[in-house]
Amino acid sequence: MKFDSIIIGGGLTGLVAGISLQSKGKKCLIVSAGQSALHFFSGSFELCSAPGDYEDALATLPSSHPYSRMGVARTLELASGVKDFFLSSSIKLSGEDKRNHFRITPMGVLKPAWLTLDGYASVPSDRKMPWKKVLVANVGGFLDFHSDFLMAGLEKEGVECIPYIINIPELDRLRTNPTEMRSTNIARALTGNVLCELASQLSKAGAGCDAILLPAVLGLNDPENANSLKARMDIPVEFVATLPPSVPGIRTQLMLKAHFQSLGGTFLMGDTVNEGVFEGNQLKGIKTVNHADMVFQADNFILATGSFFSRGIKASSTEVFESVFGLDVDYTEERPQWYSPDVFEKQPYMEFGVRTDDKFRVSRDGNVLSNVYAAGSVLSGFNGLKDGCGAGVSILTALDVADRIANGF
Amino acid sequence: MKQDKGTHYDVIVIGGGITGAGTARDCSMRGLKTLLLERFDFTAGATGRNHGLLHSGARYAVTDQESATECIKENMILRKIASHCVEETDGLFITLPEDDLAFQSTFVASCQKAGIRADVIDPKEAILLEPSVNPDLIGAVRVPDGAVDPFRLTIANVVDARMHGADILTYHEVTNLIKDGDRVVGVELVNTNDGSRCQRYADLVINAGGIWGHKIAAMAGATVNMFPAKGALLIFGHRVNNIVINRCRKPADADILVPGDTISLIGTTSSRVPYDQIDDMKVTPQEVDLLLREGQKLAPSLATTRILRAYAGVRPLVAADNDPSGRSISRGIVCLDHETRDGIPGFITITGGKLMTYRLMAEWATDLACKKLGKNVPCTTAQTCLPGSGEEPKKKASGKTFGISGLGKRAARGRHGTLSSKIENSDKFNSSLVCECEEVSVGEVNYAIKELDTYNLINLRRRTRVGMGTCQGELCACRAAGLLAKASGCAVKAEEDLAKFMNERWKGMYPVAWGETLCEAQFTSWIYEGVCGLDAFHTGKTAK
Repeated sequence: MKFDSIIIGGGLTGLVAGISLQSKGKKCLIVSAGQSALHFFSGSFELCSAPGDYEDALATLPSSHPYSRMGVARTLELASGVKDFFLSSSIKLSGEDKRNHFRITPMGVLKPAWLTLDGYASVPSDRKMPWKKVLVANVGGFLDFHSDFLMAGLEKEGVECIPYIINIPELDRLRTNPTEMRSTNIARALTGNVLCELASQLSKAGAGCDAILLPAVLGLNDPENANSLKARMDIPVEFVATLPPSVPGIRTQLMLKAHFQSLGGTFLMGDTVNEGVFEGNQLKGIKTVNHADMVFQADNFILATGSFFSRGIKASSTEVFESVFGLDVDYTEERPQWYSPDVFEKQPYMEFGVRTDDKFRVSRDGNVLSNVYAAGSVLSGFNGLKDGCGAGVSILTALDVADRIANGF
Repeated sequence: MKQDKGTHYDVIVIGGGITGAGTARDCSMRGLKTLLLERFDFTAGATGRNHGLLHSGARYAVTDQESATECIKENMILRKIASHCVEETDGLFITLPEDDLAFQSTFVASCQKAGIRADVIDPKEAILLEPSVNPDLIGAVRVPDGAVDPFRLTIANVVDARMHGADILTYHEVTNLIKDGDRVVGVELVNTNDGSRCQRYADLVINAGGIWGHKIAAMAGATVNMFPAKGALLIFGHRVNNIVINRCRKPADADILVPGDTISLIGTTSSRVPYDQIDDMKVTPQEVDLLLREGQKLAPSLATTRILRAYAGVRPLVAADNDPSGRSISRGIVCLDHETRDGIPGFITITGGKLMTYRLMAEWATDLACKKLGKNVPCTTAQTCLPGSGEEPKKKASGKTFGISGLGKRAARGRHGTLSSKIENSDKFNSSLVCECEEVSVGEVNYAIKELDTYNLINLRRRTRVGMGTCQGELCACRAAGLLAKASGCAVKAEEDLAKFMNERWKGMYPVAWGETLCEAQFTSWIYEGVCGLDAFHTGKTAK
């Protein structure tokens, strides 16, 4: 089977690259093993957590950072189109043009955010809290969200909080199995008539509040249930992230995937690339576990397999390696240098990833592969967690690489 | 500070390890008014940092007959009185091609002399019994080793001491001993949580502080010649073996593989460490490599098994009084009467020994205490079951509709024995699992908070295994922190505790952070620091 481009990895990076290429008329295949960082989505994409306007913030990043390698101007140019890009997949994001606003974490901490998914609670860049008094509601017995932590954080910011426990008989069915009371199962139950009951409970309990904050457990497939709840209420309802799995994260992935497919893209779910067919310094095709007898051919390839937790990069006790093709990796050889003893300090291993040239092309045994690009968390040279740029690097390097492939530069 | 009349005891026991807990149990069972003190949490020292091996004594049979004999006696007693803490797995002593097979007959003869059953079996039979064992073995001996959960065992002793009237104070550190002339009459304490100070008085103070007992003896003006010996171990992500595997040779590094609950443990190394390091044990890459290399000789599959964490404990080895150099070190029990030894009445030290012989250590210390206090009550700890073992309490009829589900209930029964009947099941929220790896329910967490001196996540881990499983606290830590916040009414404190807990988990993970362990570590960082926004500020290290 022959494609224009094959993308390995169906997470945020792979889908953005796929949609971008497919909209430019390129025939794409995405091979996805099924895991994605979107499954523990915070509700917001971050660009860079350094203080100040983006232009100044981006300039503070080290030269190894993918943004620095693209250049600040190019990075910001790509960033300016992201809202519309997601809107084309019916995903509504909001954020300020020049600087970070804040998302509210489940612990009630304000963290810098670039673009926040529609419906999530957020605070503008001046940190002025949008409410004086809120109802903090949780589903009774749901352990992956704790109102107490959120309330403690909000109270520090001067917001008065009223706790409320949602008690809906339909959810008791979930309690018969001790592991069922999780976000995705609740999302499946909170639909149809149950939403009426929920709206009536919340309206009553939230009377006199400026907003109602809810764990993000509505709408696994589309935003319909969340919108339907909001439509039934006079008080604004806003969501706060839960522990994984993230219902809106899964929804975002599904919607991006649906958009990619509607553009004519092919998505192989639950399959893993296990072999490359190389010719000189070019990759000609790949083989997968589920289609062992078939070679998927393409002109270009994008590696979007993620970092350690997505298994794009792996470590043994003696070395760090790229998991699909054994590509060249940037890492420190001595294992004791991989870590910092304090978990909250900068961890050097977080910056390990594949080595790429100035066009994000990967190399093998020191030789650049002229048609294989890498994008997102699999790249080396940045710490997505500490620099607050994980999603930004995923989206922007995906767009950059897609642009290079489509326009041949 | 004035002495409060209500705080005078017959005995004060210092140290919340297994020795202190066992001594407090024995003292209170013999009718002594007892106070047990622990500066942090129960099992925070060597008790919680060993193999959890229910020694048959075979390991010591050739080199130390006395220890071997003590071990097999206590082994048989613990199977009876602490059945819910013990797994009767048996053990194999295997001979590998690089070992001397002639040692086997010496070993078997020594075992028999010490009263330890030791059956020579065919290597092929050994492989059938324990498929994970190195198939190259040339000899095998089967002995009555087992596994014992030191956390459970200690808590059972604490619970029993309390049931017999003992008072218990965790997070109280002895800062000084109060003396009247030469006699020790009490202790000065600092609350290690809030810094407040108080005093407690007793006719007799028993020092059961393990390696830290050296410092406590010094407060009394006595010298106990101790030698801190570090032992490092690795925990594997699943239960590799069902029978304890040892090497049939003189005791050496990394030659015991013990199954325990859901995991297996390989250990240990042995190295002297200076005193100023005993509160901060780090496992070095060299130790990890050695443990892995030697461990694979016992069970080759360890090479491809995920390592959950690495940790190290400090053995309180004691030099004989006539040997200040420490060359003649014994692992036997040392019970010092400081009145006759140093002219310091009112003070006893119980040390040396092993997890296996804690009950006997407690018996010796309590015998001496009774003698000094003029009490003539015999020891009954060898015949009396610990709470959790023994007869199931009669259940009251109840019309409750929600119960702890099969999974959580069975796991809780394993952890708390018959005491698991005290776990609340009246609330429909209680059956939810907080920790899926170890099947810990909300009800069990709440039981630990209410009944088992649980104030933070580390306490909870030691009581229930929350955060001990393959995910090392990935999601369960946050769930449990929420329940602790609810119970204490202080979310801010619970968040700080959560941050500290994540750091404590990382401390054991980073020496072995590759493969799946590194994946989990990165994921956990993204959840807690990324999604939740927990950071160094919460550990109290940096100002915001």
